[in-house]
Amino acid sequence: MSKVTRLPIRPKAEAAADSLWVINYFTACGFLELFSWVGSGYDMERFGILPVATPRHADVLIVAGYVTEKAVSRIKRIYDQMPSPKYVMALGSCPMTGGMYWDSYSTIKRIDKYIPVDLWIIGCPPKPENIGKAIVMAREAIKGGFGGH
Amino acid sequence: MTTSNLEEREISFMVIPFGPQHPASGHFHAKVKCNGEEVLDLVAYPGYLHRGLEKLMEYRTHVQNAMLAERICILDPFSNDLAYVNVTEMAAGIEAPPRAKFIRSIMAELGRILSHVTWIGVISSALGLESGTRISWGDREKIIRIQEMVTGGRIYPCYYVPGGVRRDLSQEHIDEIYKVLDYIEKALKLYDDLVFYNTTFMARMENVGTLSKEDAIALGATGPNLRASGVATDVRIDEPYDAYPYVNVEVVTKEKGDSYARALCRRGEIIASISIIRQLLEKIPAGEFRVKWPMTKKLPAGETYFCCEAARGELCFHMVSDGSDKPYRVKIRGPSFSHTLSIFPHLVRGAQLADVPAIYWSLDPCPADMDR
Amino acid sequence: MATNKFEEIKSVIESKFEDSILGFDIKGGRIMLKVNARASHEVLSLLKDLGFDHLSDVTGIDYIRDGEFEIVYHLWSHARKIRAMLKVRISREAPILKSIADLWPGAQIHERENYELLGIDFEGNPDLSPLFLENWEEIPPLRKDFDTREFVKRKYHDDK
Repeated sequence: MSKVTRLPIRPKAEAAADSLWVINYFTACGFLELFSWVGSGYDMERFGILPVATPRHADVLIVAGYVTEKAVSRIKRIYDQMPSPKYVMALGSCPMTGGMYWDSYSTIKRIDKYIPVDLWIIGCPPKPENIGKAIVMAREAIKGGFGGH
Repeated sequence: MTTSNLEEREISFMVIPFGPQHPASGHFHAKVKCNGEEVLDLVAYPGYLHRGLEKLMEYRTHVQNAMLAERICILDPFSNDLAYVNVTEMAAGIEAPPRAKFIRSIMAELGRILSHVTWIGVISSALGLESGTRISWGDREKIIRIQEMVTGGRIYPCYYVPGGVRRDLSQEHIDEIYKVLDYIEKALKLYDDLVFYNTTFMARMENVGTLSKEDAIALGATGPNLRASGVATDVRIDEPYDAYPYVNVEVVTKEKGDSYARALCRRGEIIASISIIRQLLEKIPAGEFRVKWPMTKKLPAGETYFCCEAARGELCFHMVSDGSDKPYRVKIRGPSFSHTLSIFPHLVRGAQLADVPAIYWSLDPCPADMDR
Repeated sequence: MATNKFEEIKSVIESKFEDSILGFDIKGGRIMLKVNARASHEVLSLLKDLGFDHLSDVTGIDYIRDGEFEIVYHLWSHARKIRAMLKVRISREAPILKSIADLWPGAQIHERENYELLGIDFEGNPDLSPLFLENWEEIPPLRKDFDTREFVKRKYHDDK
């Protein structure tokens, strides 16, 4: 009888960092730089990052761009529907401080009053190299044991 | 208990949400009422991207507003800025120098090609032809690199100012633009195989969402959506601005008015824009590229109306000035306002449920310029 | 030839609506018309019959110092390639105007936006429910007596 060789099992954190699925929610202008990552120029799929259609399959919620009062209740609902462990990234200056629309009567000024945020990426919108640095930081943190929420 | 007699069978309907979080809807919400697979009605709920830009513009000076104006439609920033800068110059009675007009038109046509290439990716994603998305959004990078080289900004160039353009176009930039035009011409053959003459794409888009000529005019269609239904109206020819009087602009029209005709209209526009840029680069005059415009310049009291041909249709600015350095009222007419809220509900009635994303993206809406 | 087509349109309009026309001007190749609010629907119907088939926009402007709203209709004729602007003034205390959704189906959504952002009522419009804003309790935001910076300071910055 031949021997059964068992392959070493990867630690769960490493496997999680290699397959972060992003919810496909085109919020606002910050999302345009993610188009470059979806395309063959920068290609995020080689990191295992994939856009998915339903929140039940997603690990990461990217709030890219400004958020209006009408949209923030929907974002909160999508965040609640995602199963744990989940991570949130805020892309651009608008979710941080209101950005260019600081005096608008219908945008919210700080997204972290509604959902907890793990990673902030600055820019209007941030260049793809900045988003790449953010992806690398996120993967290192998750491999190092950051559990999300 | 089912019965084969149609009158005795109760027709029941379901209401399905299309968006706001949906892989094929952008940031837009609609409720679709359907009986089985047939759509009975659709109600649209816009407003997820409303920032009140018209109110914000009343608090900033004319030069500062150029930064807000380019964020009206995210996918086509050059056209919005062009319309704003032209309406400000018309109100002040100052003309930009000829070299600046040529540079503006070159960058605007490059922006049109960029918008249509992005659109190829988006419609492929909505119909499930994912390779079209990956490849066209990779080719988008080449045009964005030119934008970055010339203007310094990738997505929001902030290049047009009242009085001209911020930086000059050098010979190195012109050589790179010629290379990108050759590249796009070659890439179009690949898009033909992948998307435009792909049997799946044609089967899903032909005879779907047919817009007749009378309906297109009555509901306010403009741009490629109107030209695909047989009306040859193009602001670049009817009321030429900037450098368009000096070149030959080809207007692409089709007769059928279905989604496939709209797709072919956009394909024809990419080819026409490449030819326009080549003509402009041959004729570009030397000279200065900007006239002096003080930061807090006061415009004379009065009102001005200007229309330009954006990638999606007719984009218009109505500016009322009261003699100070801030505008009194700015009204922005985005092309996607009528397309999404008047034409889209009209076209889906009677269609199949699976055709709803195909009809939506064949109209090329931008939720940002609908909501402003 | 160009001046002839303007003169022809001017004579047709002035012959039918002499007392309602408050001004007829041709500036930069475009027609600018000022009418009495009572006659706006009939004049627009006549313009549509004269070939102005594309309604580009319906703009509302708040002239708070005069106590009036001004509504501007922007029209375009595909066949003649002329642009026309029609201006109507109504009082700010009771802003109501007859809807033109029966002439151009595409006008219904423009009037709905003006109702929400400026508070101008259009009589005969089938649907004037809120379009962009949800749970909005202040005055219509594009009016001149609404200060957006003071609103933002009060709502987002003061207490939190």
